[in-house]
Amino acid sequence: MVGDRCLRRGVLAAFGAVALATSALAQPREIKIGVIYDYTGPFAAGGSLAAAIGTKHAIEMINERGGVEGYRINAIYADAQSRTEVAINEATRLLEQERVDLIMGVFSSAHCVPMAQRVNQQRRFMWANVCVASSVFKDRNLEYVFRAQVHSDQFGEASCTFVHEVAQEKLGRQPRDVRVAIIYEDGPYGAGVAAGNEAKCKELGMNVVLKEGYAATAPDLSSLVTKLRRERPDVILHTGYNPDITLFLRQSRELGLRWRALIGHGAGYGQIDRLVAGFGRDADYIFNVDPVAAQLLNPASLAPGLGDVTAEMVRRYKAETNAQEVPPHTSMGFNQTWIFLTDVLPRAIRNHGGFDPEALRKASLETDIPEGGTIQGYGVRFNPPGHPMAGQNARSTPVVMQYIGGETKIVWPRALRTVDPVIPLPANHPYAAR
Amino acid sequence: MFDIFLLEAVINGVLLGGVLALLALGLNLVFGVIDVVWICYAELVMVGMYTIWWLFVHYGVPLPIAIAAAIALVSLCGVALHQLVIRPVLGTPPINQLLVTGGVLFFMQAAATLAFGVEFRNLGLRMPIVEVSDMFFSFARILAFGTALVGVLVLWLFLTRTYLGTAIRAISQDREIMPLMGVDPRKIYLTTSAIGGGMAGVAASLLALQYDVHPAIGLSFGPITFMICVLGGLGNMAGGFIAAFVFAQFISVGGFYFQIEWGYVLAFAFFIVMMFVKPQGLFSR
Repeated sequence: MVGDRCLRRGVLAAFGAVALATSALAQPREIKIGVIYDYTGPFAAGGSLAAAIGTKHAIEMINERGGVEGYRINAIYADAQSRTEVAINEATRLLEQERVDLIMGVFSSAHCVPMAQRVNQQRRFMWANVCVASSVFKDRNLEYVFRAQVHSDQFGEASCTFVHEVAQEKLGRQPRDVRVAIIYEDGPYGAGVAAGNEAKCKELGMNVVLKEGYAATAPDLSSLVTKLRRERPDVILHTGYNPDITLFLRQSRELGLRWRALIGHGAGYGQIDRLVAGFGRDADYIFNVDPVAAQLLNPASLAPGLGDVTAEMVRRYKAETNAQEVPPHTSMGFNQTWIFLTDVLPRAIRNHGGFDPEALRKASLETDIPEGGTIQGYGVRFNPPGHPMAGQNARSTPVVMQYIGGETKIVWPRALRTVDPVIPLPANHPYAAR
Repeated sequence: MFDIFLLEAVINGVLLGGVLALLALGLNLVFGVIDVVWICYAELVMVGMYTIWWLFVHYGVPLPIAIAAAIALVSLCGVALHQLVIRPVLGTPPINQLLVTGGVLFFMQAAATLAFGVEFRNLGLRMPIVEVSDMFFSFARILAFGTALVGVLVLWLFLTRTYLGTAIRAISQDREIMPLMGVDPRKIYLTTSAIGGGMAGVAASLLALQYDVHPAIGLSFGPITFMICVLGGLGNMAGGFIAAFVFAQFISVGGFYFQIEWGYVLAFAFFIVMMFVKPQGLFSR
């Protein structure tokens, strides 16, 4: 009897061991990525949702191709609700409770600045996709945070350089005679771009007649519009989210503000569908500085296969949203994710033994993608530790686009230009200076 | 030296005051009578704006009819809010009432996100441009200003010249005694909630002409409306009306003279100082 019992116990134990072993083998190998965007609140429609969809599609496409080095990507999506404290709490929850391997995403620079600091302090890894504020990295010497995206100083420089280049030819005056006004939402994003605007415009000898910030949730911008009318700027450089951009455009029209060129810097200005829905033909000829929407680039100028990737990104975005135009934010969300999953992560696993923060950091610092090697055209090489912008991509570049007839065209740099810029505004345009 | 731009800023401040006064009217009425602050008041305005957008843009309903429907719907929302949320906590500490209406705020934001998405919606209307002697004014703001004046006048006539209005004022002065005099407080509360909701609907109809509607629009107006009511003396309708114009001048003229952000800083600083000097509000007796 005792022997029987022993035998039964032995058989049960053996079955148990086999079952456990089988179950362990059946567990898919996966990498958990916490993806944070604003799915609700004002930032959602300002571009965050478009970027989030881009990121999601990139992850889906990678998983459909078998994952990364045999690992399936398990994305855990979190909504920052357009509120910084929620974004920080979500990052903490993802890292400590969901135990994700890294944090990715983030639309708003207001979220990005404190989140990057905190994640870095904990020696965890963060891959920033969309937020652009230079202050995320400037003089912070972050070790575990990387961003292939363009940064706000470059936004500010691009618009001033563009105006400087076309001043004589298009506006018929010397750059020093061009009256420039800089207005911006006063968070890290707007303030960062505006600082870049001011520094570059002054460096180029242009006449900055007004520089002023405001809260993105301000219910009234009429006194700002009145001041702008008093200063009579030729060119307005505007950095905002939504609803402040639509409020500014509406109040400008009602309160008689006119200009020769309005140049936006991403976020709300990157949403051409929404600008056209709100303002119809009045949205024509607005300029927007942003990393280029990938579908606007000639696939022949990119590395082999990237054109197909872009086409698939566009197809999936349109299928999911029914949108006519794919905003630049979709490319940003997709591109940064794609770079990480196809270049950095495989190298970390192959060469550095896995995907812990140290391996990811080393793999990021080894990134060396030449120009034309990403769907947005720019290359990737991160500034090394000790650099004032350590962790920021040194090869990223924005472009200046213009909305013409409801379509997006590239007008700067000249090498990528797809159309001659329309500047100043045609005389019959409601915002045209008379 | 005469500055035409300063004059424009002053007048635009007056017009902005009209918008804020319109928002404060309903909230003040409800607090004055029922003694409950609808923290979710700006979200009721959002419901009205979405209703107008939905009927006008999606179904092509003429704008006046869409506005009338929105006012009626928001008025009903006010009644529902009172019956379902406020009434069960009427006798409880004020913090409970704040918390439940705060809960309704988040519920309404989430419901709007689910129903309409996160996009910014607008009526696609272009208001005429009003130009007087090189000064420009928003036609929609002039409309809001006029409506605020008419609204406060009609409300005053209603409260002083009708039996129901008199009963409402009486309840607001002594809610224990009036039931003994034959006034049914439940009926008065419901009527007040309907009027308060209706005022939110009126505000919505004028804001829809000036602003995009989105689930978070309450963030732009809720706190400022509440501060105006407190500045004027919670429940004091005339006080709230005047406080709206004082606040708007700080924003407009302060924003004109300094950075626009300073306009808001000055307005909030004034509010804080007044809370020390006259905690019951500028126009408390």
